[in-house]
Amino acid sequence: MKTFVRADGPDKVTGSGRYVADLTLTGMLHAKFLYAGVAHGRISRLDVDKARAMPGVLAVMTADDVPDLRYSPVIPDRTLFATDVVRFEGEIIAAVAATTPEIASAALAAIELDITELPVVNDIEAALADDAPLVHEHWESYDVTGDTIRDRNVATFSAIEKGDVDAALAGAAHVVTGRYEADASHATPIEPRGIVAQWEGDKVTIWTSTQVPYDARDGVCETLGLPSNRVRIIVPHLGGGFGGKCGFHFEAHIAALARATKRPVKLVFSREEEFLAPDRRREGMIVDITTGLSADGDIVARKAWVGIDNGAYVADAAFFPQLAAMHIGGPYKIPAVKIDAQLIYTNRQPSGSVRAPTAPQACWAVETHTDELAAAVGLDPVEFRRRNLVRTGDEGIVGQVYDEIGLDQCLDLAVSAMGLPDLPADEAIGVAIGWWPSFAAPTGAYAKMHGDGTVQVITGAQECGTGAVMTLRDIAADELGVGVEDVQLVYQDTGAAPVGPGATGSQTLLNHGRAVESATQQIAEQLRELAADELEAAASDIVLGDGVASVAGTPTVSVPIADLAATAAGGDLLLGSASAPMPDWPSVSARCVGDQEMASWLAPQFSCHVVRVQLDADTGVARVLDVQTAHDSGTILNPIGATGQIEGGVMMGIGQALSEITHYDEAGKQKNPGLLEYKLQTIADAPTISTQFVEIYTPNAGPRGSKGLAEAPNVATAAAISNALAKLTGGPIRQLPMTPERVWEHIEAQSTGNSAEVPA
Amino acid sequence: MTLTIATSIDDVLAAMANGARPIAGGTDLVVGARQGKVTMPTDLVAIDRVTELATVSKDGDSIRIGAGVTHAQLLTNDVVVNELTSVADAAALVGSPATRNVGTIGGNVMNGSPAMDTGAPLMVLGASAELQTSSGSREVTLADLWTGPSQTSANTDELCTALVIPQPAPSSGSAYIRLEYRRAMEIAVVGAAAALTLDGDSISSVRVALTAVAPTIIEVDGLDSLVGAPANDETFEAIAAAAREQARPISDLRASDRYRRHTIGVMARRAAHAASVRASGQIVPVPVNRAFGVGENPENIR
Ligand SMILES: Cc1cc2nc3c(=O)[nH]c(=O)nc-3n(C[C@H](O)[C@H](O)[C@H](O)COP(=O)(O)OP(=O)(O)OC[C@H]3O[C@@H](n4cnc5c(N)ncnc54)[C@H](O)[C@@H]3O)c2cc1C
Repeated sequence: MKTFVRADGPDKVTGSGRYVADLTLTGMLHAKFLYAGVAHGRISRLDVDKARAMPGVLAVMTADDVPDLRYSPVIPDRTLFATDVVRFEGEIIAAVAATTPEIASAALAAIELDITELPVVNDIEAALADDAPLVHEHWESYDVTGDTIRDRNVATFSAIEKGDVDAALAGAAHVVTGRYEADASHATPIEPRGIVAQWEGDKVTIWTSTQVPYDARDGVCETLGLPSNRVRIIVPHLGGGFGGKCGFHFEAHIAALARATKRPVKLVFSREEEFLAPDRRREGMIVDITTGLSADGDIVARKAWVGIDNGAYVADAAFFPQLAAMHIGGPYKIPAVKIDAQLIYTNRQPSGSVRAPTAPQACWAVETHTDELAAAVGLDPVEFRRRNLVRTGDEGIVGQVYDEIGLDQCLDLAVSAMGLPDLPADEAIGVAIGWWPSFAAPTGAYAKMHGDGTVQVITGAQECGTGAVMTLRDIAADELGVGVEDVQLVYQDTGAAPVGPGATGSQTLLNHGRAVESATQQIAEQLRELAADELEAAASDIVLGDGVASVAGTPTVSVPIADLAATAAGGDLLLGSASAPMPDWPSVSARCVGDQEMASWLAPQFSCHVVRVQLDADTGVARVLDVQTAHDSGTILNPIGATGQIEGGVMMGIGQALSEITHYDEAGKQKNPGLLEYKLQTIADAPTISTQFVEIYTPNAGPRGSKGLAEAPNVATAAAISNALAKLTGGPIRQLPMTPERVWEHIEAQSTGNSAEVPA
Repeated sequence: MTLTIATSIDDVLAAMANGARPIAGGTDLVVGARQGKVTMPTDLVAIDRVTELATVSKDGDSIRIGAGVTHAQLLTNDVVVNELTSVADAAALVGSPATRNVGTIGGNVMNGSPAMDTGAPLMVLGASAELQTSSGSREVTLADLWTGPSQTSANTDELCTALVIPQPAPSSGSAYIRLEYRRAMEIAVVGAAAALTLDGDSISSVRVALTAVAPTIIEVDGLDSLVGAPANDETFEAIAAAAREQARPISDLRASDRYRRHTIGVMARRAAHAASVRASGQIVPVPVNRAFGVGENPENIR
């Protein structure tokens, strides 16, 4: 397949593209939310009468104005508005719709709110204490689904158990133990979210910056008690998501305001709100790992505990413990494992799926640990990994036997691409490997070929910046034998497209791609029948390509596809509709306690990142100079898009490694909800990044043997940087991010012999 | 609310006499108002079209940098780059190309932030601010101008028209370096400027000023004892020690006081070293941050 310019590119680059914030409807009102402003407390007074009476204020809503129900997948612990107790500072108390944003702000100020503060659960370990205050006093009353194990502030617990770990550790030649602590960070899409809702009769259309239009629709239906066919979600261009715009939360508030006021209502978040309010933050994590090794360097056992800072509500995070446990095991052959993982309620912003949830932190912990293991047996870190990683046919930590995979090739390619340069004393190279599953979900697609031979593909796929949606055109063009420019997409509209997961879990190509493939194959079949009649050949001998249908082996016997389309337009229309066939999930043999279906990995993706880092030891400032990556994501359909995806993932990984941290104060409130003090990496910081793909045709996965790719590049970078810094500073830095101050304190501690612990 | 778009200094002064606040690039004022750090003044006078304010000129024994000169202009001005190099070092670090294209030196100085980048270089170069009202003008040293974080001794009707800097002596060099966690859109964690004149291999004058370690930019006292000392590592370390000692850093989100106190010494040492190399006639490319910072070859300056 050819690589092409993204159809949405010129719109975005020239500024002609429209985002939610650009939309204006006649009579539109402006919404604003009143937030709790304290991390834990009981509402003792809430009086909105004065605000309601203000001129220009058309609605003020609280929990009293929406159906009284709890929602969220797996653990329904969430309400649209605070009811009695507020559990984090960004909890919504009230929503206002007014004729101008200024009047809306004034109305917020007129709301009378008293909150009696309660003790704040502000720390993973403190939350586990016997006498810790409960974040959810009535946690036992929630209507939980699945194999979900809970206890007080432990929102979910999962464990992976295989073999006899204690015996294996007792018999190990070396035992290495380490603790690794990662702070919370943010997805930080550049577009703060926007929502516009408008009712027509009993139907509502909601324009929103979501990555998951169908989840948004379902959330609105559930919380406002509406049937599925009365809610339509449309996403104009989306200004990035990184997982931060997955899930559902604010669309229902705005739809409710629009219904109450009988006017369109618009909400646009400030940057600060984008930091504080969403149910999506990258979780902080504490990891304790103990690994046993044989004398010659085989991993014989691993025992670990992972504590994950869930924040106040579970959102989509119920599976985080099991997924984190998979990463703490890692893509290694380990005969005996016992990994316990807890998702822990705190009075902080809820955690939720940010790009490769749990993976960058867990991979950082386990790969930092892996270099310590190599050192313990005197092996080179690359050699140690070669010895222990999973190859084709090997059994991984949960007893899943992997079909053809290319992890060993990833390691070899990335390491040899970096080579063995002569390094000055202030530079070092670090290596890490990572993995990530592919997810399959029910997904549909429609396709139609018009009378002039051009094609429309109608998909529930959501473009979130990856460009993967654009590749759907390529698949359709390839199936139908027409040019990419002859294929148009209708997407980001639940009123038009069949169900699909949207931009979450690296699923765009994997699921939407398979659906588009199937739907367009139906039309291709029709075209072959038509051509067979026309060319007096068997349908099975007809080939579609370059805009013509021809007889295999005799390209001169052909008919333009546009002619076939014109014929069809006079009778039997060229239409396709398909639901992507669901792949089979591989089996696992380990004991999975609190199973959230994250142990069996469909089409696992593998990666190796090798980084060259320079350290200014006087200040602790580190700079990544060069990154070599190799990825096994199966067949690569769009190399330019795929490479760009990896470059972005690496930059996000550098940020997580060195600069991105959310600071909390004693009261559980974020101290740096803004782009000056929350330090994203900039283009000026970007190193050289080179990528190689290990392209293995992967059956039982995405279209044309592909796997997912969106999240995989965000797994191993921070870990590789950690390993380089450990070489430059005399040992691993056990806190993530490895900020200049932490690195410097670590160097100081090595020279004075004291252990370094820098407050956040 | 009123906005007067001025095209001459007289227009500006007239508006200011009536209570209007000057706005140049607006990169402090507007951004701060949007973030709720300051309230937007009701009456503004835009000074970015006053061409009289946007020139760099030599005037007898001094160099005048108009208050309306942007950071981008500082960077491409030969006089600034060759003779007031530390000011160019600072201008090159400000924000992003967009910030540098509209942000002005006058706005930087009058905003009075202890983290401003052009402040320490201007101080070591002995700059004073020329302040003008409709009834006259005066010059104030920067030490007298900055009275606290975001506070100056200027009256509300006083326009800063220029920064006036004595012509540096022959065999002089200056440099500014800051600690930054990323290479664009950053603010100084700490920073240091040094200006140095050499007499052969030894120092005949040296001034050092520090960024973001006190309520205002401060000058390091007591460096007179280094006059006559050789420009070597030992001397630079003495400068670093003085900087560490005189710094009064706070702990905040960006850094702890302990880390600031340590790194201010590192910055002071590097600034003094780079200034001495420049004073000796060798070139250290602007900004020093890239030559001395991580990721570039320190050989650049040796
Ligand atoms: C993204 C971003 C990055 C930044 N990065 C940096 C950085 O790296 N380093 C740094 O030092 N700063 C930085 N800044 C701050 C700012 O850009 C600079 O301080 C800039 O020089 C301010 O100039 P201005 O013309 O925009 O000032 P304005 O915002 O127009 O004015 C600032 C203040 O000075 C007053 N004022 C302006 N001109 C005069 C005058 N002639 N006489 C009297 N009063 C006057 C105004 O009334 C106002 O109070 C950054 C700002 C942004 C938004």
